[in-house]
Amino acid sequence: MQHDITSSAAPGGDKPLPKFIRRSLVALSINDPRLTEKASACEADAIVLQFDKLSGSDWQQELRARMPAAIHSAARAGAEVFVRIARNAAIAELDAAVFSGLTGIVLTGVSGSAEVRQVCDHLARIEERRGIARNCLEISIDVDNPAAVWHSLDIARASPRFGMLIVNEQALCVSLGMQTQPQLAFDPLEYIKSQLITVALAAGGQAVGMSYPLGLTGQQVEDATLKKAVRRARDTGFKGAMCPHVSWVAACNVGFRPSDDEAAYYRKVIEVFAEGLKRGMASVPLDGKMVDVPVDVRAKLYLQWANRAAARDAEKARARAASS
Amino acid sequence: MNNRVARCVMFVTPTNPRFIDKAWTRGGDVYILDIEDSIAPAEKQRCRTLIRESIEKANKGGASIFVRINKPFVDADLPYAVWPGVDRIMLPKTETAEEMKHAHAIVSRLEKERGVAPGTIELYPMIESTLGAVNIHEILTAIPRRVHSMGGAGGYDMAVSLGIEMFADFDQYAFPVAYVALAAMALDIEAIGAVFVPNTSGRVDQADQAAKQAAALHAAGIHQAGALHPNFIQPLVSGLSPTAEETDWAKRVIEAYEELTDAGESVGELAGKVIDKYEYAAAKRTLEWTAQCAAKDAYKRRAMKRAQASESSPGSGMS
Repeated sequence: MQHDITSSAAPGGDKPLPKFIRRSLVALSINDPRLTEKASACEADAIVLQFDKLSGSDWQQELRARMPAAIHSAARAGAEVFVRIARNAAIAELDAAVFSGLTGIVLTGVSGSAEVRQVCDHLARIEERRGIARNCLEISIDVDNPAAVWHSLDIARASPRFGMLIVNEQALCVSLGMQTQPQLAFDPLEYIKSQLITVALAAGGQAVGMSYPLGLTGQQVEDATLKKAVRRARDTGFKGAMCPHVSWVAACNVGFRPSDDEAAYYRKVIEVFAEGLKRGMASVPLDGKMVDVPVDVRAKLYLQWANRAAARDAEKARARAASS
Repeated sequence: MNNRVARCVMFVTPTNPRFIDKAWTRGGDVYILDIEDSIAPAEKQRCRTLIRESIEKANKGGASIFVRINKPFVDADLPYAVWPGVDRIMLPKTETAEEMKHAHAIVSRLEKERGVAPGTIELYPMIESTLGAVNIHEILTAIPRRVHSMGGAGGYDMAVSLGIEMFADFDQYAFPVAYVALAAMALDIEAIGAVFVPNTSGRVDQADQAAKQAAALHAAGIHQAGALHPNFIQPLVSGLSPTAEETDWAKRVIEAYEELTDAGESVGELAGKVIDKYEYAAAKRTLEWTAQCAAKDAYKRRAMKRAQASESSPGSGMS
């Protein structure tokens, strides 16, 4: 799935919210012999491929040989496919791992905007060299260190390819010298998460993360607990989460979108407000709450969001059916 | 007029006589004449033409007057918003320094044309999007005019910008609120503050919610709050005024600290509490705020008395 990421306008001229329907992201290794099987069974909106560089081998050559097939396998069930690239070896890894079929890369270990600009320039060369449409490859950032948080706005604005800020809670806690076992009654990264959400949206992308403590532990938990955690993450402004277990995927796909009840309410808001406008009123009551322009705008945007999420689910279902 | 005291800043719609004609009787410190979200698109032009007469209607009880214009219609709205008697113009959904410069240029020209002293009217960039929040410093430093700032960037529009449902039972605006408030404080710009108070019902007409909000703001040292319903006015005005106990305590602290410094000391104790230069400064601020509130209340009382006399006098034209 490729599109020109420098164009964010949706049909009709309005910017869609969220920019991408990426509710669930799953990391899979290209070295995993069951990659095809796992990817086919996975209902994630996006798969992030990662690889091991085996010592003693020509890892670049090996990667070049394996990546096209791995990307194809990962995309079988309709997921967007990314590849994780380490900033400190970015050029070599990009040359070996970026091929047609990828939506973009997830860059780890970023500490400043210059690094992103360098990667952006190199992606342009790879796009040209490998026949990939110009400006199609996205750059998302794995926020895994304090410098990435501090410079997040510059980093997100460094390239028109910017897609997502992905909060890597465990890495952040380690690099901040914090406990990686959740022992607090509050989220110690609450401010950082809010900052990254705000920055990502301001820069035209979106943030990926989970609420405390699941974002840190990545545990498998019972459905009700997971559902509540996803809801809180969505109410904070995250648009999706990295899923450490396949069990999270369904909950994220359902939770990081307006529910059916919410969509029904938005339809009611739109209807009531339109009727009010006909009577010359810009503020009308609905169930004890006031419906005015921003409420109407929100209802329209969020209803569009619900519809886009449903369309994405249908798209993935078709891909799964075609590949089975 | 003392327009710094704005314990309750209440929105009114100039196009609705029921609201605008009665506004002065409600006791608000500030009325915002709204041309933005409370006005239907088809009513915008009529609303613009009503602003000038609405100023005199709404400030009869001693309130200050702000005007909220529309982001897409700055050029069309401002000629109807810049008049003597307007203290501040609110610029919704401000996101860049360029928007501030544009509004400042138009307001400066209109002030000159309409006999308003240059720079009298403050501009108030409302930060209601993630982009506005991250650009706050350049927005607040864009123009050579007094600006007022939001102390916190929350609310409906910010919720939409973040893609969230508001009215959750936790603070959904941790960064934008703190960042925008901090920028104003760092620049020594007066700001309307915000403290998270759960309101899961989403209702805007409940006096007890207003009282809770006032208590939380008061505890945080914030003296201003907005209202969408008249039921909020009195709880906010009284809740954000200093209490008699606070004023008495401040006087005692000042007296005790000055006695200390006269004796060459810098730290002492009063009723079991430590008294030092910080407590002294806080006490002085409390007394300043007490004096400002008293002046505003006295001004409002006098204005109210005049307005009531005018209403009841024969030939006033009002029933």
